[in-house]
Amino acid sequence: MSRRLNWGILALILVASLAVGASGDSGPPTEDQRVDRIADVVRCPTCRGLSAAQSDAPSAEAIRDEVRRRVQLGETDTQIKDYLISRYGEDVLLQPRSRLVWVLPVVGGAAAVIGLVLVLRQRRVRPGRKVSEADEALVARAMRSERVAQ
Amino acid sequence: MSAVLGTAAVALGLAASLLGMLTLAIGLRKGNRAMLRTARSYVWLVLAGAVLATAAMQYALITHDFSLKYVADNGSRSTPLLYTITTMWSALEGSILLWALVLAGYIAVMARHFRDRASDPLLAWATLVALGVAAFFFGLMAGPANPFRLVAGAIPLDGPGPNPLLQNHPLVAFHPPMLYLGYVGFTIPFAFALAALITGRLGEDWLVETRRWTLFAWGFLTVGIVLGAWWSYEVLGWGGYWAWDPVENASFLPWLTATAYVHSVMVQERRAMLRVWNLSLLVATFSLTILGTFLTRSGVLDSVHAFTESPIGPAILVFFALVVAVSIALIGWRGDTLRSPGSIDAPVSREAAFLANNVAFAAFAFVVLLGTIFPLLVEAVNGDQLSVGAPYFNRMTAPIGFTLLFLMAIAPALPWRKAAAETLHRRLLWPAWAGTLTVAACVAFGLRGLGPLLAFGLAAFAGAAALRQLGVSVRAARRGGQPAWRALFGRSNGGMVVHLGVVLVAVGLAASSSYGHRAQFRLAPGESATLAGHSVTYLGTTVEDRGNKRTTSAQVRVDGGKVYEPALHQFPFGSQAIGSPSVRTGPLSDVYLTLVVPPDAAGTVVIGVNVQPLVVWLWIGGTVMGFGTFLAAWPGRRRPTATPGPEPVAVEPERTPAVVSS
Repeated sequence: MSRRLNWGILALILVASLAVGASGDSGPPTEDQRVDRIADVVRCPTCRGLSAAQSDAPSAEAIRDEVRRRVQLGETDTQIKDYLISRYGEDVLLQPRSRLVWVLPVVGGAAAVIGLVLVLRQRRVRPGRKVSEADEALVARAMRSERVAQ
Repeated sequence: MSAVLGTAAVALGLAASLLGMLTLAIGLRKGNRAMLRTARSYVWLVLAGAVLATAAMQYALITHDFSLKYVADNGSRSTPLLYTITTMWSALEGSILLWALVLAGYIAVMARHFRDRASDPLLAWATLVALGVAAFFFGLMAGPANPFRLVAGAIPLDGPGPNPLLQNHPLVAFHPPMLYLGYVGFTIPFAFALAALITGRLGEDWLVETRRWTLFAWGFLTVGIVLGAWWSYEVLGWGGYWAWDPVENASFLPWLTATAYVHSVMVQERRAMLRVWNLSLLVATFSLTILGTFLTRSGVLDSVHAFTESPIGPAILVFFALVVAVSIALIGWRGDTLRSPGSIDAPVSREAAFLANNVAFAAFAFVVLLGTIFPLLVEAVNGDQLSVGAPYFNRMTAPIGFTLLFLMAIAPALPWRKAAAETLHRRLLWPAWAGTLTVAACVAFGLRGLGPLLAFGLAAFAGAAALRQLGVSVRAARRGGQPAWRALFGRSNGGMVVHLGVVLVAVGLAASSSYGHRAQFRLAPGESATLAGHSVTYLGTTVEDRGNKRTTSAQVRVDGGKVYEPALHQFPFGSQAIGSPSVRTGPLSDVYLTLVVPPDAAGTVVIGVNVQPLVVWLWIGGTVMGFGTFLAAWPGRRRPTATPGPEPVAVEPERTPAVVSS
């Protein structure tokens, strides 16, 4: 099998599997899924650093019940979060609405990647040197023995 | 008596650090080698101070000497001996003492290890810097964080004991000391880095000297973090192991920069590149351990404005600023000599992969740092309160994690300098197939979700790549007439074992966070419930008064087999009941039980059940990582027998002097 064909088949299987695997994500979420999704990003008011979905504390249970009630009433995620913010304050959300905290890493990351690409593209211009035949033979021999060792 | 002895010991440690620094400074200034050698004895005095202070603290704790404020606040007569001993690191002052003890130990080992080079200015400067750090921590204990302060007024008859969460599981005896061995260990490479900057000896030899120290510190920190996650899982009762809590992030940040360093340092050794970057990573790692101490110990997290109430917050912050400022100034001052002689030849090469790895780790550290301090910054700027929690960190770090897994798969296969397509094909093909077939098999077995599938595929890819490298090493060892196990030792082979540990951790993380189930069941005795194919049967409850706590345990039979006992503990001084989960650990999934509500009048309880797959592989992976670090730090055979992969065939001597001299 040719090298290109081998990698091509590999890529095909990978993309197909991932496509099938990711499709399970779609479809309208059930009530439970929506409650979980919201409770996941809402802080349990009486614990430290845990979400309302993770905690067994009564306050977390109260939030889960309230979220479920509002989901059943047909409110959107945003409406429910707005309600929770009005009730508990802005810091009830574990995903802050402030843009800065999301944008900074993305901008920084992009800058770093661009910097990396620039560094990698910048090949040092080497002084043109004449390589002797003896040297080339030496390199070829070393490469061959390396291949055998592999 | 303990107070007198302890205070004297702290004074001894502080005085010896300062005198040692002074002696070294004068010796360096005058070029007096005899003075540099005498300075070594101060290191032993510092160690004596730290050991005596620790002994005094332990004696006070064990004999319940409540005349000491620390013992009165954190000790209690009813606490079992193990937790009385661990009380030393259950609160601020004692943990500073533990820090000083570990640091003094490291400095003493360093002085002993380099005893033949005591008059070398590089070593003298490194000792001076390390003693400076020690002086800071002894100074904290002499001033704002004095563990031997006496109680004001009447001596109490008993104390409240340590925080109930810190006397619930024996892991508390191992996790903090491990973590501190990691944290504090980075002081030594940091001291050498500063010494190299000051003396101008910026070649690669200081790197080689501190390589193993860095590896040990990294290994301890890794094991400490994993133990912390395990403790969190076994004790806190919410079913998870990592909450992106600021305390956890504080330990994770230096780990990220140190991990970047242990990779990029190889580029500097091989190619004499990245000198400024490597120095910066060491400085960043050390500063982040100090910043972490500030974040977790100053009370700043409760409120931005609280930390000035205790003097320790400002003191640590000033020290942190000093470390950063001095380091940046030194790097700036030596900027010219730091210019690297080497350069990257090709974008597809080992060194380019290490560069990408460093960018990814730096980005990772940036996200974690930003998320941790963002609420503080916002509150300080405009008084708004907001939280940055797990959903933010998970979403922002997942892509970086995937990138790192991918790099981990391809980097070991890439040769230095430049890779030929033929080489890549030969080395990456079957690891790539392993990854692809893993994804296909997972999908065929009905697993869904892009995140976990990517994680499993990349983990298999990286795992196969690491196994392939080890296989090459084994074959090379056999050919060299050595036993196969010999091929596991040495830095690159040990590194591959660490990679295998990372793969296990990645799989455990992805599976447990994506395919977990949790529910609460209200059960009367004899009733059963089922979650994710596991049945739990509630049998009954027992209440027991044992020493310092009253324990209510529920008996729960899992899958018709063994009985597990999730419990609630009521401590006399604790207001809230502390739950302790009970976990059925298995190779495929854990069943995690908590007693949420104790029995009511009718005997009905609420049991929390949490079924998560592959959790145990996190702990196994952590163990493998620790073991791999040990293998990597083991003095390996020099190349070429132990290292797979082609060597740079011809180097240009005048451009890469370090390669030639090594």
